[in-house]
Amino acid sequence: MTTLDADLRRAAATAPGKQALVAGERRMTYAELDAAASALAARLRALGVGRGDRVAILLPNGADAAIAIYGALRAGAAFTPLNPTIKADKLAYVLRDCEAVAVVTDAALAPLAGAARAQAPSVRHVLDAAEAAAGPAGPLPPAPISVDLAAIVYTSGSTGRPKGVTLTHANMAFAAGSIVSYLEMRTDDRILCVVPLSFDYGLYQLLMCVRLGATLILERGFAFPGRVLELLRDERVTGLPAVPTIFQVLTVALGDRAPDLPCLRFLTNTAAALAPATIEALRAVFPGARLHSMYGLTECKRVSWLPPEQLDVRPESVGIPIPGTQAWVADADGDPLPAGEVGELLVRGAHVMQGYWNDPEATADRLRPGRWPWERVLATGDLFRADAEGYLYFVGRRDDIIKSRGEKVAPREVEAVLHAAEGVRTAAVLGVPDPLLGEAIVAYVVPHEGAALTPAALRRHCATHLEDYMVPARVELRDTLPTTPNGKVDRRALAREAEAPAAAPR
Amino acid sequence: MEGTERVEAGLRAELRAYVEEAFLYLHPDVELGDGDGFLELGIVDSLGFVELVEEIQGRYGIAVDALEITEENFGSIDALVAFVERRR
Repeated sequence: MTTLDADLRRAAATAPGKQALVAGERRMTYAELDAAASALAARLRALGVGRGDRVAILLPNGADAAIAIYGALRAGAAFTPLNPTIKADKLAYVLRDCEAVAVVTDAALAPLAGAARAQAPSVRHVLDAAEAAAGPAGPLPPAPISVDLAAIVYTSGSTGRPKGVTLTHANMAFAAGSIVSYLEMRTDDRILCVVPLSFDYGLYQLLMCVRLGATLILERGFAFPGRVLELLRDERVTGLPAVPTIFQVLTVALGDRAPDLPCLRFLTNTAAALAPATIEALRAVFPGARLHSMYGLTECKRVSWLPPEQLDVRPESVGIPIPGTQAWVADADGDPLPAGEVGELLVRGAHVMQGYWNDPEATADRLRPGRWPWERVLATGDLFRADAEGYLYFVGRRDDIIKSRGEKVAPREVEAVLHAAEGVRTAAVLGVPDPLLGEAIVAYVVPHEGAALTPAALRRHCATHLEDYMVPARVELRDTLPTTPNGKVDRRALAREAEAPAAAPR
Repeated sequence: MEGTERVEAGLRAELRAYVEEAFLYLHPDVELGDGDGFLELGIVDSLGFVELVEEIQGRYGIAVDALEITEENFGSIDALVAFVERRR
């Protein structure tokens, strides 16, 4: 039974009293999580939500979000996890795009959902998660099957419009199983998740724990290193997934002092490469933990992993394809290139998405014909090379997507928001290498003549229209932007300028 | 006694001015009370706290231990005032 719903049923049947979730003050067993998901599913069913309908989940990390995800799935619906810092216009766009019939949220975010609903006619219901989960049990529809749509996860597209990655139960259950196997996760694992569930890295921590019947410690975010250390110690955490920004803040905060954490078995990193200094610091601070470097994208969840013992041999590599899949560096025809040559990375396996929701053109660009008539291979859009032993190395991106704090940001999405600000003649946004963020989002803005713009006001404008992680770290005002011979903004010239050492002090 | 209160009030005003300048300007709709949690209101995120801790260390010459970077010490204006008062 390869569905996410079956995973929860099995965990609840096998070990009903086992701790499933720790979220703030709240602790839930598998029996409790299962019952809450059933109550929420019954409520959705009573409202007419059924197989294949889309249910958007607008909640911060917490027990309610976990219940909402499994409740929507049990109702037969597909869920769309949304970042709680999303703003009304974009929320409305996503709700319209996936034609969501319901939004599951909480009291704090209900006004936002209400505002977006006015522009999204498909939305018939806005539900309070806690209230729905506490409702009575009721009739449930037939369980979802493996080929049913399980989720639409939105990711930044280079056009500036977010794209909905469609995933079946089979896709997600397979990916979760593969990752669990190479991480050698166990039923007694206790995973601390500080990354948002709206980001597939966070989402899969929940899916993997439920698949195994392990325990997830779910935090709203990573804000206080002291809090994270307290949780690592007090909750006897065995696994900590994070991105370079988090690992760096944590190791800098700790200095060279290793806290006593005998339970911590493994750390996982993805979204961007760890700097050698951070790897060294992590080993000094968490000497008992294996460190996994990984690479992936929402379109197939995860592509590769580096066995921890290879970290010293090939620290720059993101490793080998995850168990049960293939990945290769390809030429323009999709055929494998010899070791050392650079080409696009292609991926084959049961984790590959079904396509982008409502976007056949983008789907055709990324899902290419495979070996068999029924098969499609995922083109990652990332350039790679492989070494003689087949280990993969990230070289660069095919598009101009920025990776900041581990999240993808489309420059065009940020530019569109800046262009809409009063007094802006033109704007260019790019990613500039940054030791803490991976890439920092930097905006170059040319004001209209006489317009009184300030970087602070422009950042504020961005903050009211974009998710937090998309707000430029820096806004610079210019009289002109460099252009290419055919009149377009010369991004390479801007990037060179941005990366040049800072000008001499005044 | 009066003097201590004046110092406290000055510190509070100083910290509020810093928080407004560094974080609150991005959230014009938020009304921040001295006891309101930065995290809960979404005005300071993980990287913001890094900035905040650095500022407190630099401005008041306090060495902050990683374990002290918690909600109780850095989570609100009240928390910051109490922490700085205690440690400087």
